[in-house]
Amino acid sequence: MPWIIKYRPKHVNDVVNQDEAKQKLIAWLKAWEEGKVEKKAVLLHGPAGCGKTSLVEALARTFKYQLFEMNASDSRRKADIERIAKMASQTSGLTGRKLILLDEVDGLDPHADEGGVEALLGVIKNTRNPIIMTANNPYREHLRPLREVAEVIQMKRLSEKDVVSVLEKICKAENLTCDPAALKEIAKRSEGDMRSAINDLEAAAALNKKVTVDTVKATTAYRNRVYAPWEALQKLFNATYIFQAKEATTSTDLSHDEFITWINEHIPTYYETPEEIWRAYEALSRADVYLGRIIKSQNWDLLSYALEMMGPGVAFARTAYKYKWKPFKMPERIKLLAESRRSREYREALAEILAARLLTSKAIVMSDVIPYLRVIFTQNPAYAAKIARGYRLPEELVTWLAGPRAKEVLGYVKKPKK
Amino acid sequence: MSELLWAEKYRPETLDEVVNQKEIVERLKRFVAEKNIPHMLFAGPPGTGKTTIAHALAHDLYGKNYRQYMLELNASDERKIEVIRTKVKEFARSRVVGEVPFKIVLLDEADNMTSDAQQALRRLMELYSGSTRFILTANYPSKIIEPIQSRCAVFRFTSLKREDVVGRLSYICSQEKVACDEKALNVIYEISEGDMRRAINILQSAAALGEVNEDVVYKVVGLAHPKEVREMIQLALSGNFIEARKKLRDLMINYGLSGVDVIKQVHREIFNHEVKLPDEVKVMIADYAGEIQFRLVEGADDEIQLNAFLARLSLLGRKVKV
Repeated sequence: MPWIIKYRPKHVNDVVNQDEAKQKLIAWLKAWEEGKVEKKAVLLHGPAGCGKTSLVEALARTFKYQLFEMNASDSRRKADIERIAKMASQTSGLTGRKLILLDEVDGLDPHADEGGVEALLGVIKNTRNPIIMTANNPYREHLRPLREVAEVIQMKRLSEKDVVSVLEKICKAENLTCDPAALKEIAKRSEGDMRSAINDLEAAAALNKKVTVDTVKATTAYRNRVYAPWEALQKLFNATYIFQAKEATTSTDLSHDEFITWINEHIPTYYETPEEIWRAYEALSRADVYLGRIIKSQNWDLLSYALEMMGPGVAFARTAYKYKWKPFKMPERIKLLAESRRSREYREALAEILAARLLTSKAIVMSDVIPYLRVIFTQNPAYAAKIARGYRLPEELVTWLAGPRAKEVLGYVKKPKK
Repeated sequence: MSELLWAEKYRPETLDEVVNQKEIVERLKRFVAEKNIPHMLFAGPPGTGKTTIAHALAHDLYGKNYRQYMLELNASDERKIEVIRTKVKEFARSRVVGEVPFKIVLLDEADNMTSDAQQALRRLMELYSGSTRFILTANYPSKIIEPIQSRCAVFRFTSLKREDVVGRLSYICSQEKVACDEKALNVIYEISEGDMRRAINILQSAAALGEVNEDVVYKVVGLAHPKEVREMIQLALSGNFIEARKKLRDLMINYGLSGVDVIKQVHREIFNHEVKLPDEVKVMIADYAGEIQFRLVEGADDEIQLNAFLARLSLLGRKVKV
């Protein structure tokens, strides 16, 4: 049996150093029991090998849930999702309480699995059992609907110390002679990925029962890591060499235009002086110009320049080097755009109606017509109602235009003043 | 009881009803008499009647149901040349019956097309020249590639004169039985910079507030145009970049302004005499605003470009201590 399975945590207490996530999950399960749960699903995220799946399995074992597991990235067929949906919609019966685990939802391909996210939303809406989804990176655009309906719980990247402590236990259980420096080397190379650390220990031990730094170096290689956006930003802003800053731009699984949004957000939270902020933005602005040219010309040769401006250009905007640890939160703009989506759809719909009648483009309607229309709708409801009738504007567009005076306008639309 | 936007209600339907662009209208009337038109390029500032006159021309050629003989496309809404190609192909396929042996494709804001798309458009114009005539409109004729310009009769629309705009506005006032102050109409002309559509929009929303006088006009314009632009500039100049960026997001996301809209309004504000800055700093800001407007067109993400601009403002603000 591979060691990563053999040494999976059996009890919640065996899961190392994730107390905050544990507490949140336990509280959420308790709320489910009591029927007081606010969000019916959890989106549990964290870097590879930090113990997401293990934690869920340990929870199920500790609190006696029957665990139903589906790996979202290899069960793309509608039938699988329907099977899960059916199970989720049934209340716990004689078999005991159920817990549903949808592993690796970020593996849902936004293009190939069109409808995959929608199907999961349906499952969550109708479920009568707790659902936990896991993801390495929950910030990809196509996962936004899932973020909205689920409680988002973050797990940390494990420290070297955490990894070493688990490796030591395994050494003992397997009767190996392990040089502490060797375990430290494995932990360092794992960068907090427990799964890869255990695999590396197993590989080194297969060579020799005595695990030394040399056997570790002979059997393990550095892996190409995928970082969470904030980790990549940490590396980018604190880079000491050009290559580090450039690598950071491609070390997440976000697309370039998604990652540039994160950099854009955090230039003024990381840098303090106007001088540095401007220099960093000047570089980012150049990066954006290259990205624009790539889109228009499909000349992907330019990508390297864009990445160099995004990474090193922003990192070396500093006037003096000082390692700074800063929290890099989810960009405010992503949230704002999600919240205002409805409103932007209304504006678009109204522009389409009026552009055809006023013989002009939607862009002109948005910049030149709608602002004045809003004045009429917020200042003179009776007159606004006449215009609403003239263009047969649907109720939701009238409501959007009139804002606080929507009721009055709609009243006049229904009962025109003589 | 219902009402339309006056910009639609008072749009001339026939060439006879058009009150300005006299020479152009005369030439077009001759085409109507001959029942033949060339490909045409209508060039000139926004709100000077290019699209309206194209419609009036079609009306005079085909009669009241002219729209079945005309395909209207807007290049800024349909940027993809494939879409334009498919629609033109579909439309040009059927032959017309009647006295006029061709149909019209009206392509608005053609200067928004990339030069590649314009090359494709040129081929379309050649391919279907037997059965269709193209009328292109553009704010900047220099952005139309030469091969297209040389295939078109070019008509240059001039900015509307003060008396044209004020005259039209007072005509509307009398039709609508709204009391309109002469001074107020002049103020509307100045604010609208000769753009008739904008002038009529301002007039209608002012009239919705009651009697149209100077104060009401200013009030309406103030309500329609977010104060956030000025506040954003002040915040940036005082070094508060993050708050300035919040205002920018408000403008772009909640008011729906495009990046170019924002930079143009900023540019206008900077030269407003209420903004207290040394003249040489205003010049530096204008220069960078121009650069940013260029990058907005070249780039992909409007907010990043405008953030660069705001960051520059906070740097300059620090230096001159506003």
